[in-house]
Amino acid sequence: MSVTHDEVLKIARLAELDVSEEALPLLAEQMSRILEYVAQINAVPASEGVKPFVPGPDALRFRADEVKPIPLAFGPEALAPAFKDGFFLVPKLGAFEGADS
Amino acid sequence: MSDPSEALASAKATADRLVKAKRLNACLTPVGELRKALVTQAQAAHPSGVLYGMPVAVKDNICTLEFTTTCGSKILESYRSPYEATAVAKLKAAGALIAGKTNCDEFAMGSSTEHSAYGRTLHPFDKTRVPGGSSGGSAALVAAGAVPAALGSETGGSVRQPASLCGVVGIKPTYGRVSRWGLVAFGSSLDQIGVLGRSVHDAARVLSVISGRDPKDSTCEERDPLRLPNVPESLQGFVIGIPREYFPADLDPAVRRACDRAVRLCKELGAAVREVALPHTAYAVPTYYILAPAEASSNLARYDGARYGPRFDGSADVRALYRTTRGEGFGPEVRRRILLGTYVLSSGYYDAYYRKAQQMRALIAQDFRNAFDRGVDLLFTPTTPSPAFKAGEKLDDPVAMYLSDIFTVTANLAGLPAISLPIGRVKGLPLGGQFIGQAFLEDEMLEAAYALERVVPATEEA
Repeated sequence: MSVTHDEVLKIARLAELDVSEEALPLLAEQMSRILEYVAQINAVPASEGVKPFVPGPDALRFRADEVKPIPLAFGPEALAPAFKDGFFLVPKLGAFEGADS
Repeated sequence: MSDPSEALASAKATADRLVKAKRLNACLTPVGELRKALVTQAQAAHPSGVLYGMPVAVKDNICTLEFTTTCGSKILESYRSPYEATAVAKLKAAGALIAGKTNCDEFAMGSSTEHSAYGRTLHPFDKTRVPGGSSGGSAALVAAGAVPAALGSETGGSVRQPASLCGVVGIKPTYGRVSRWGLVAFGSSLDQIGVLGRSVHDAARVLSVISGRDPKDSTCEERDPLRLPNVPESLQGFVIGIPREYFPADLDPAVRRACDRAVRLCKELGAAVREVALPHTAYAVPTYYILAPAEASSNLARYDGARYGPRFDGSADVRALYRTTRGEGFGPEVRRRILLGTYVLSSGYYDAYYRKAQQMRALIAQDFRNAFDRGVDLLFTPTTPSPAFKAGEKLDDPVAMYLSDIFTVTANLAGLPAISLPIGRVKGLPLGGQFIGQAFLEDEMLEAAYALERVVPATEEA
């Protein structure tokens, strides 16, 4: 596993981290060695049936990935000047951009 | 101790001892500030507390109100937390005196306390060597006799490894036994506050006080504080497992001799000893060095000059501000781990590294369950593959440094309790052996440690 200088720079951008030109060669070399070392876990056959181990109280076990409404202390109607059938009422675009739209 | 004058005397004597230990660079709190804070605390402490007047130093990644919390990092230089860790609040409620903040590897990432922005901590017996890490400052202060106990934190062995190298006791509790509220996050599914002490009893007393439920931390189990066991007369009825994977053919012969002697003593105390297999042990360090950096890369995103940390650049571009602040503020090991963590979580590599490591973690935890299901109460292993190594020896070779944790990371991955206690000397340097217990059965683990501690010639060459 060899990590190129460009890959280090790309990862550094994702991590919002400045990496100087001088630090690049050593960093790329060290990351390559570490990734080569940790990649040995791939020698163990794939075990798709294994459930992830999550320490801590049972209450923290992963919940189903479902999108549910977030309960608000006040309904949106209490916060908006105008609210109807689940929508915020706003001025029509035309009111700002002229009659031709 | 129940007399306020004794507590005050303890505070002053502790300050004097910490001044003497200054050469170790183990305590980050300035002496004048520390002396004043100790006296103030002694005057305010409750005489009825079970730790009344006992000085306890605190690793610098655990939040305190009295002192700064820098995590050994330039990015948190002079940071003062607006709240304190639950463990610290419990210590104070029990009458303990917080004896300053101890040096550590930056954000607890390291095994030698060389990765601190405030300079390396020296080994208390040999200044050319490291005290281990990342809780090296806590271990060095206890070993030097400056404090009877100190808090540390464990993500992959950061309490037990320095305890082994410095010749003191180190306890890593079960994940969920001690609140993490106020412990600066590194790897949230692994982090636990632990205790270093000059004896099993000192460390266990502190653990008992800081353990127990905490509504502020949802990963803390809904349990009463740990009750301290009595010191047993024998180990009759205990079955101790010896995992063969922890005694490879190339293990340092002196480390093997020290462990063999400890096992023989356990047998003489009445324990039954049985060899067991933990077949996925070889994959524990690689698994850990995928999961921990992945979690760290997320946890450390907050240090960007806007939410936390000083701004190292006056740039108008906010992303340039983040990058400069983080690039300047973090040391090389933290930068390396953030990059590694970001890499293994990034698109295209997630399955090969992070997902696979999650599966390996489950298999490692299953290994332990299998051993315990077969009637083994505890496991005994060396804590470290060698005694304290020379400063600088592993700094340029991260993989060699990571392998210092080879016998400790498994307990963190499986969320199990473990204790390291001194079992002998190797070329004059201390070495620890560890018991790994079953989840939330710290009392059994402590019984075995109490019994072994009484008979093991901890200061004799193995």
